[in-house]
Parts: sequence; structure tokens; C-alpha cells
Amino acid sequence: MDPQHIRNFSIVAHIDHGKSTLADRLLEYTGALAAREMQEQVLDAMDLERERGITIKAHAVRLNYQALDGQNYVLNLIDTPGHVDFSYEVSRSLAACEGALLVVDAAQGVAAQTVANAYLAVNQNLEVVPVINKVDLPSAEVERVRQQIENVIGLDASRAILTSAKTGLGTQDVLEAIVRRMPPPAGRSDAPLQALLFDSWFDPYRGVILLARVVEGEITRGQKIQLMANGQTYAVENLAVRTPKPVEIERLGAGEVGLIVANIKRVADALIGDTITDAVHPAAAPLPGFQQVKPMVFAGLYPVESDQHAVLREALEKLRLNDASFFFEPENSAALGFGFRCGFLGLLHMEIVQERLEREFNLDLIVTAPGVRYRVILQDGSVLEVDNPAKLPSASERKQIEEPIITATIISPEEYLGGLLGLCEEKRGVQKGFEYVGPGRVMLSYALPLNEVVLDFYDRLKTVSRGYASLDYHLSGYQESDLVKLDILVAGEPVDALSFILHAGLAYERGRALALKMKELIPRQMFEVPIQAAIGGKVIARETVKAMRKNVLAKCYGGDITRKRKLLEKQKEGKRRMKKLGKVEIPQEAFLAVLNLSD
Amino acid sequence: MRPRANSGAEPLSIYISVPFCRSKCSYCNFASQVFPAARQSEYIAALEQELEWTRERESSLGESCATLYWGGGTPSLLPAALFTRVMTALERHFPRQPGAECTLEAAPGTLQSDTLDAWRRAGIHRVSLGMQSWQAAELRASGRLHGPEHIAADLRTLRAAGLEEINLDLIAGLPHQTETSWRDSVERTVAAGAPHISIYMLDVDEDSRLGRELLAGGGRYHAASVPADDQIAEFYEYGIERLARAGYRQYEISNFALPGHESRHNDGYWLRQPYLGLGVDAHSLLRSAAPGAEDGRDLRWSNLDSLEAYLAAIARGELPRAETIWLDAESQLEEACFLGLRRNEGLDLNRLEREFGEAALAPQKAELRAMAAEGWLEENGDLVRLTQRGRMMGNEVFARMLH
Repeated sequence: MDPQHIRNFSIVAHIDHGKSTLADRLLEYTGALAAREMQEQVLDAMDLERERGITIKAHAVRLNYQALDGQNYVLNLIDTPGHVDFSYEVSRSLAACEGALLVVDAAQGVAAQTVANAYLAVNQNLEVVPVINKVDLPSAEVERVRQQIENVIGLDASRAILTSAKTGLGTQDVLEAIVRRMPPPAGRSDAPLQALLFDSWFDPYRGVILLARVVEGEITRGQKIQLMANGQTYAVENLAVRTPKPVEIERLGAGEVGLIVANIKRVADALIGDTITDAVHPAAAPLPGFQQVKPMVFAGLYPVESDQHAVLREALEKLRLNDASFFFEPENSAALGFGFRCGFLGLLHMEIVQERLEREFNLDLIVTAPGVRYRVILQDGSVLEVDNPAKLPSASERKQIEEPIITATIISPEEYLGGLLGLCEEKRGVQKGFEYVGPGRVMLSYALPLNEVVLDFYDRLKTVSRGYASLDYHLSGYQESDLVKLDILVAGEPVDALSFILHAGLAYERGRALALKMKELIPRQMFEVPIQAAIGGKVIARETVKAMRKNVLAKCYGGDITRKRKLLEKQKEGKRRMKKLGKVEIPQEAFLAVLNLSD
Repeated sequence: MRPRANSGAEPLSIYISVPFCRSKCSYCNFASQVFPAARQSEYIAALEQELEWTRERESSLGESCATLYWGGGTPSLLPAALFTRVMTALERHFPRQPGAECTLEAAPGTLQSDTLDAWRRAGIHRVSLGMQSWQAAELRASGRLHGPEHIAADLRTLRAAGLEEINLDLIAGLPHQTETSWRDSVERTVAAGAPHISIYMLDVDEDSRLGRELLAGGGRYHAASVPADDQIAEFYEYGIERLARAGYRQYEISNFALPGHESRHNDGYWLRQPYLGLGVDAHSLLRSAAPGAEDGRDLRWSNLDSLEAYLAAIARGELPRAETIWLDAESQLEEACFLGLRRNEGLDLNRLEREFGEAALAPQKAELRAMAAEGWLEENGDLVRLTQRGRMMGNEVFARMLH
């Protein structure tokens, strides 16, 4: 296909500004879809995605459109994930596009994610076309929104398209703008193959499916291809495009987007951002921007019932087939028994993995406090990487600890500056940059310890900026820091799974807060349970869960034994979901108490 | 399935439910309500019907009645004529054995001479007076209509009528109860000299207005004035200790009696003796190995718990049952353990072994031994019973009897 007749674009918007409704209209108008039901299969296919209203995986749909110039165009709509944990995936999806529609609600105006997403698109050099949606609402203020787009984001909004995705108004204008204003892909089909792999997933019947954008050259069925990051070669078994129903095709030319099946067994071999090239005539260099995504956050995963260990391992292996950014290895806790140390992209990613394990594999899990990977320099000069606080060598064995530092870029309306500076300071940040980007908007650059960011930074950022600040970050290196291990003792016994590493300056305050939180979370038992926080054997805080004084049912109405039995069974079931450490029963959420200290 | 003693020979207890009240107490989690008096005769007619159909259908029921208990609700509100009708019908289907124990629950302030006469003539010789407290403020806050003066007057009336076998109910944990007021109520209860006393602790659950309010953290029904859980425990412990000094023997978690005045009907529940419950939300247990019982399983059922549903079922010609559960040997053994442990005399392991077999009892025995080592139970020959510590934590112990 002539690249002149191809447009690759994505839609970016603040939540509820009409992104998916507009996508529906485009699919409908171009005949890709008649009914809403099918659309729901295209976007957000996982239950979790639908429930949480976030996109985790990228998707792509091909639309055929005959423009007013009489020409037939192929428009590839590429949907992107929507959370900072997946910002690398977002950047790769956007890298597969030449343009983006920026949808803004005509009544609500420019909102936090409008700005954050617009910047992402602009940074990828996309042609951004503003779309003012919901213009049929009585409260629509088109001119005010137009001004906002120009002032706040700095985009020319004079030619913004006015739509009502609900009624279908302006749909054709949008399609025309895609064709006329967004550039066609620039590649040539006779050049050596370079295709950008921007998502991959595991299909139990066909192995790994690649979602790719051909940048230069072409891919044909039967061709031997190579994934440049790992050097492996594969034969292309199948090529398809989604319309949104998968339709098999023979070749994908420069500028085209499609699905590739090539007998790849593991998602880990098909890394997002990798370049697909021809195995026989490879391109001289891969496409820019590839990164091996590394887990940033680590936590222990344990089955509540120890006989579920094998089931958990199997579940983790299955999940890993579909998620190359997730990592796990066996570990052993004195308190929790056999489990796994797992690495995640961020807290949301961790929650998603946990939820999928519990839901799809019917497991009850204990997740330990999330932390980061430290570099410990021992007395003999050797270096040890530690991602499990329980394995931190004692103070006398180590010379120093280095912690991972990120460079965070925060863009926000000026009015939230005070709260943001306070937050960054609290999280031990060092300011690296401060500039105005457009009227009333600031961009902050901070060096921040990753371990402060993984806990609740993103949520707090959204709170202090009422959702308007956007965050992007990347790992910038390691830095020596005064870190200590905080131990929690329950009934006099240290619980390794509750230990965590933190800055010495924060240890007393957080130790006290954590002991107090644990006291709230651990139910009263048949005996008194002391809870202590300690650093290197020195107790810095103590709380006591008082012994339960009574637990007995007195009355028996007319011989209702069944009711009594049900109450006992309910009580027993409640205990079953708790973890028994020695004689003390601890609920699952206590292991994550450190995440909720500010509640 | 192992053969078991012929339960047809076991004494049958009968429970009659009267779901009518003058007002609904805030702590009440029973299916009683305030209904117009006209519904009472309709109800009694339905109850007679249930009795007749049950007699026809459940052939494994014993022939005679060893204990009879009128509970509620407020049975003392039932007019004498309706009461007598039921007693006559019962006598026809399940004649009372000589010396049968016959109890009726009465609310203070509801005694009337004609009903008292009817009770006595029909053989009622025990009256359980639902007094709950001697403090006017506590009674008012719980929605009770009586005051301390009614209790004193009723005690005189009952005794004058020759009804000496009296039980007095006390509740630990009523709104506004304090250590002083509780001790005063216990003291006055002891001074009243009734041969039987029950002490209940407030149940906090979804089934009562006050319980729901407490769970929701609200302030209605004087919820904010309910004593703390730990204090209720202290009240209960004080009650046990004070009644012991006064010569009352605790024979079950909530029940205390002067020697020889224990309630056989009450004991029957904990010993899993068969009982037939008639009326709204009444419960029944039929033992196996009796003619008609299926392959050694016991049968429990409950009746519908709303008056309307109960009446409608009878009108359709159906037994008004809500839930029917067949208990296999394992469930029976579990029940025998967690119910038997409620009795101060303890669990008779010898008897259980005879009934269920050595192998079946082995896991329970191991658990009991473990709990004895932990101090929750004490062993005395073949008897295992709760220690005082274990009694306070009864549910923790009982739950470990379930598998």
C-alpha cells in the first residue's frame, strides 16, 4: 500500500472527555463496527481494564476511509495505556503514530490528563489535532476551551474540530483532519526492514502475538525476521490486521500496522520497543528509543495457605508469559514460609498482578511492603544487590548502602506549586530544575529516591495538585544514603516479612506510625500481643494489642443451633484468611500497612 | 453408618413459639413483633394445624413429652383460652410424661389472674421472668415497658399463685449499665430468691436494632451508652462469682440454679436430645436410628421466621419450614462437642466414644487435649470441661471443634 494513503494516529484525552465514544464514532462511520458490543471487545479487553477504567495493553484497529478527495485511506487507530507505571509502553505506542487527536470536553475544558497526554504526544513530535467534544451540551463553552488549549498547552486551536461524539456531529471533520493534517508515514517499502514492536501478548493457541508498526521496508508471510534486541530469528507464520475482527493479509508495507505470529514462545523474547528486521538483510541499526524495561518495585508474594505454593508458582509462570516487565524468583521467609520475590514497574502494576493472581487463579495472597533494589557495598569492597530487606547485611558487615535515584519531571498549574514543593521535600527530593512552560504552568525537575516514590508519591501528587500535575520519571543512578532497616517484632519475635529499609532520618517517625497502624490492623487475640519497631536491635516504638476479654455467645433462641454453628464457621473462615505467625493471627492487609501510614 | 440408641425412647422436648410482643426491645434478635391481638387466634389455629401435620408426618417423634417450653416473643400475652387450646391439642398428640418440666416465659407487668389460673391448671410450674435488669433507666433505654416495681410485684403474684419455680433473666451490657448498677441488679436478683437465674451478655449482630447501630457506629437506641466489651466481660465474671457465693451453681454458660432446680429443657439442647419446635421461627431436632430417619443422619429444621409467611404456608397446606439440614455423623459429633462443652459438667468422652466410635472421635480428642494444654479446658477422668478462662473464650474453643 502506498504510504501516502496511510495515517497512524492515537486519541489522547482526560478521563471521561469522550475518547472511547469518539473512537466508537470513527469505527462506526468507517464501517468497521455497527454495534457497541463489538467495540467493547476492541478496547480494554481485560476485565480489570474495564473495571478500573484504565488501559493496560496497547491496541490497534484499522479503519478504511474514503476521503472527500475521492482517495481511499487506511487509518490505524492506536490506543495507548494510561498510567505512569506504563509510561515506557505509552511512549512506544505514540512512537508508532504520526499524529494524535487531543480530545477536550467543551464544558469541562482542559484538565490534568489533557495536559499530561498532550505533552507526551508533542514530545514524540506528533501532529496534534485539537478536538473540542460535547459541543452540543448547553454548558459548552467552545471559545473559552479554545483559549485554554492555546494558553495552557500552547497548541494552535484556531482549527480545532468541533464534535459531539454522542450525536456523531463532526465525525467526518475528524476523519478529514486525520487525512489532511496528519503527515503520512515517511518510510519506503524497498528499504531494509525496521518495524517497531509496540506491544506483545501471549495467546495460548498461537504463542506470542506481536503488534508492530512497519517503519521501513516490508514484512511478508514466510519471511525470516530477527528481533534485534535478542538476536533471535523467527519465520513469520501469519500476518493480520484488526478491523477490529482479525483479517489475515500477505504483507505489511512501510507505514502499516499489524499483528505478527512467528512461533515465539515467550513474551520475554518479544520486548516492547524492540525492532523487527529481516534476518537475511538486516537493517544497519535498530529504531531509537528501545529500553529493556526493568522492574523498579519489589515485594514478596506468599500464599496465605502454604500448601498453595505450587499453585502460586504455576500462576506466576503463566502471568509472566504475558508480561515481560514482571519478574519473580523463589524466596523464603521465616515468617511466611516459601514464596516469591517479585519485581514490578510500579505500585499499580503490582496491584494488577496481585488482583489477576487472586482472580484468575483463585489464590489468597500476602503481599509484603514494596521496596526497591539497593546496592550494598560490603566491608571487603564487594557489591551486593538487595531487594529484600530481610537479606540486608548487618550494619557491621556493610560499608555503605546506595539507593536508586530517579529524575522526576512534574508539570503542573502554578497554583499547586507550594504543595508540590512540600511533597518533594518530604520525599527527600533535590530540585534540579524549575521553569515556566507557558502561562501559569511550571515544570519541576527533581532528583528523588525511588523508595520514597514507590510508596505513595503518585497518589499524593495527584492529591496536592487536585489531579492536575503530571509525572514522568526515569532511573538516573544510585547514590549513597543513610539507610537503616526497620524491624517489626510481633509478640517479641521479629517478623522478617514486615521489615523494610528507609532513611535514618525518617525511621523514628515511621516506626512509631507503623507500630500504631499494626495495632489497629491486628485483631485482639486470646492473649496480649506486643508490637515493637526496632532498628538494629534497639526498640524505638511499642504498642500493645490487648488480649480479648470475651468471645462467647450466650443466648440460644428456641434451640437454634444452626445459627450458632454458622457463627462459629464464619469466625473460623475469618481466621483462615489470616496468617498465623507463631500463635498470633495477622490479617493480610497488615503486611502492607506501610502503604497506609498517612490514613 | 453405625447403629445408635433408639431415639424414640429418648425424651422429647417441645417448644412453642409465641411471636407477639407489646413492644420490640432494641437488643432483640428474635422474630417477634408487635401485632394486633386479632392475629393471635389466627396464629394459634395455624399452630394447631402444624402440630397435627407434624405428628402425622414425622413418625420418628417420640410418643410423649418430657419437657415443654413456651418461648417468644411474649407467651404471657396469650389469652387464657388460646393458651388452653394449644395445651389440649398437645396433650392429645404428645401426652406429657409424669413429672414433665413445663415452663412459660413471661414479661414483667403482663401477668393476669385468669391466665395464671389457666397455666397452673394446664400444668405449667416454671415461669421465666424476662426482667433483664432492676434499673429503670436501663429498661427504658432498651425499650422495655416494665420497671423494677413490676418485677417485685410479679414475684409476689407468682408465689401467691403457687408458681415457685421462677427463672430471672439478666442481661450484661444494656445501655447505661455501670459497674454499680450491674452489681445492684445482681444483688437484688439474688435477694429475690428465685431458684434459677440466667445471665446473658448483649449480642452485637445484624439481627437487632441495637446491634446494627453498634456495628455501624451510630448513636441511636442509646448505643453510645452501651458498656465496652471488656466491661461486659467483667460484669459477667462478677455475676458468676456473686451467684456462686449465693449458692447458685453454674451449669451452663448462661444458666445458674440452686441444686436440683436446673432446667431440663435447656440442658436438652446441649445434650442434643430431640426436640420439636412449633410456630414462627421455631427449631427442631430429630435423632437418627428412629423409624423413618434416613441412613443414620439427624435432621434439623427451622420454621419460617415471619408471621405472614408462616400463616401463608399453613393456608397453602404446607408445613411452614424454612431450612432443613441433614446432619451426617461428622456434623453430629462436631455439634455434640461444641454444645456439650457449654455445660459445666463437661463433655463425656466415654459417651461420645460409645456413640460415634473411637476412630471418629480421635481428631476431636487430640484437639481437646491441645486446648487443655493451652489452659482452655480441664480434664477430669472421662469428662472435659471449660476452665473459667476457656468459658470467656467459648467461641474460640468451639470453633476448633469444627472441621
